[in-house]
Amino acid sequence: MGLDGMVIVRNFSFLMQGLVTTFQLAVLAISGGLLLGTLVGMARLSSIRAIYYPATLFVNLMRSLPLILVIFWFYFLVPLVAGRPMGDFLSATIAFVVFEASYFAEIVRAGIQSIPQGQMQAAYSTGFTYGQTMRYVILPQALRNMIPSLLTQSVVVFQDTSLAFVIGLKEFLRSASIVDAREVRSVELYLFVGLVYFLFCFTMSRMSRKLEAERRAA
Amino acid sequence: MSTPMIDIRNVSKWFGTHKVLDQVTETIDRGQVIVICGPSGSGKSTLLKTLNGLEPFQEGDVVVDGLSLRDAKTDHIKLRQKMGMVFQRFELYPHMKVMDNITIAPTKVRKLNPKAARAKAMQLLERVGIPEQADKYPGNLSGGQQQRVAIARALAMEPQIMLFDEPTSALDPEMIKEVLDVMVDLARSGMTMIVVTHEMGFAREVADEIIFMDEGRIIERGTDKSFFEKPKTDRARDFLNKILI
Ligand SMILES: Nc1ncnc2c1ncn2[C@@H]1O[C@H](COP(=O)(O)OP(=O)(O)OP(=O)(O)O)[C@@H](O)[C@H]1O
Ligand SMILES: [Mg+2]
Repeated sequence: MGLDGMVIVRNFSFLMQGLVTTFQLAVLAISGGLLLGTLVGMARLSSIRAIYYPATLFVNLMRSLPLILVIFWFYFLVPLVAGRPMGDFLSATIAFVVFEASYFAEIVRAGIQSIPQGQMQAAYSTGFTYGQTMRYVILPQALRNMIPSLLTQSVVVFQDTSLAFVIGLKEFLRSASIVDAREVRSVELYLFVGLVYFLFCFTMSRMSRKLEAERRAA
Repeated sequence: MSTPMIDIRNVSKWFGTHKVLDQVTETIDRGQVIVICGPSGSGKSTLLKTLNGLEPFQEGDVVVDGLSLRDAKTDHIKLRQKMGMVFQRFELYPHMKVMDNITIAPTKVRKLNPKAARAKAMQLLERVGIPEQADKYPGNLSGGQQQRVAIARALAMEPQIMLFDEPTSALDPEMIKEVLDVMVDLARSGMTMIVVTHEMGFAREVADEIIFMDEGRIIERGTDKSFFEKPKTDRARDFLNKILI
């Protein structure tokens, strides 16, 4: 059996729609996950038990579950809570934000802990509140230290989005499988999908390594 | 009758079971300069940090300008604005230029407009002798310059009290004087100051009282002359012999 690249060309715009969905989901998962993760990461360092324990429970629970299960949970749960169907994109987005937040939270926590205690004391001593101390002094420095880990995790999130396949979301991988069902060209289609994932993730990883090297040199 | 600026009443503090402050009592009047010395681990830094509420304590009370630290109604944020603090390792914000290090608290906490804050910061940089460093990052300054920026940063909040925790002990010898000169000026301008330091020249020049701490207790106090000439305790005598050689 010879390879027939034309199947890609014929279905290019359909496949690209899937890729766009993948990117949209990834961007929302990363930005939402980072935002929620920052709050949870800060909560993990709180001396107030009522804040520390729920955050810790959340992180440990999420990190002990397979992502695919969380995607299923939210797919069935969100409509129950909301009282109406939500659509696969929204339920996938929520599942990813919640799940990835637990991973981002640990990165943020380590980033905050990498900043010397004295910075916090200096900020407090000038009359800053906790929120101002975090916003102006600690997080800007912590985020800078975290950039390589954040990029690495973002690559993982990008790959993970393909799991939204299971609830029928027409992301990139699902689009390819739909085309395959019609045209029966598995080898070409899945090689193409692999190539696109590889190019994107490889480029991101290289960038992250370069940034890390620059940071070390600085 | 004037109330003291800071009234430390029988303060005790434990880290777990380790008692690091033991019934510390001290009264500091407006405009006074107090020098605290003592061996490593005697509780000097901890005492300073209890004064502005950075470290909680279990017994006793501290009253700053009429505000009790033990009183649940006391706003710690307001209280800290009365006190500037200078640290051994400067603790400038490395991601901000010198100018921004100084203006950030006045603009965010006191809501001063940025232009007024910059003008004020420039005055302070002139006062500490380094107006030309305003647009550099702290990492590009010498230790002595960084510590002078840290003093300017604390002064920018117009505090009534300045706390110094070994401000010169991380500096190369040739930079100590430039920082001490700024501190002497500040003392002469009438600022209330509490200074943890082993710079006994500074103590002789401006201290109204010298406190010697050991194992969380104030074991000796005196004016500069009485303290240097005839320390009453062996611990203080040994300590002075070590640092005055
Ligand atoms: N966060 C902390 N947790 C537990 N113990 C602490 C903590 N901070 C300080 N200590 C202990 O409290 C005691 C007093 O420490 P402190 O830093 O106040 O001493 P110091 O007189 O400032 O010493 P140095 O001259 O070394 O700065 C020490 O035994 C120290 O180990
Ligand atoms: Mg100390």
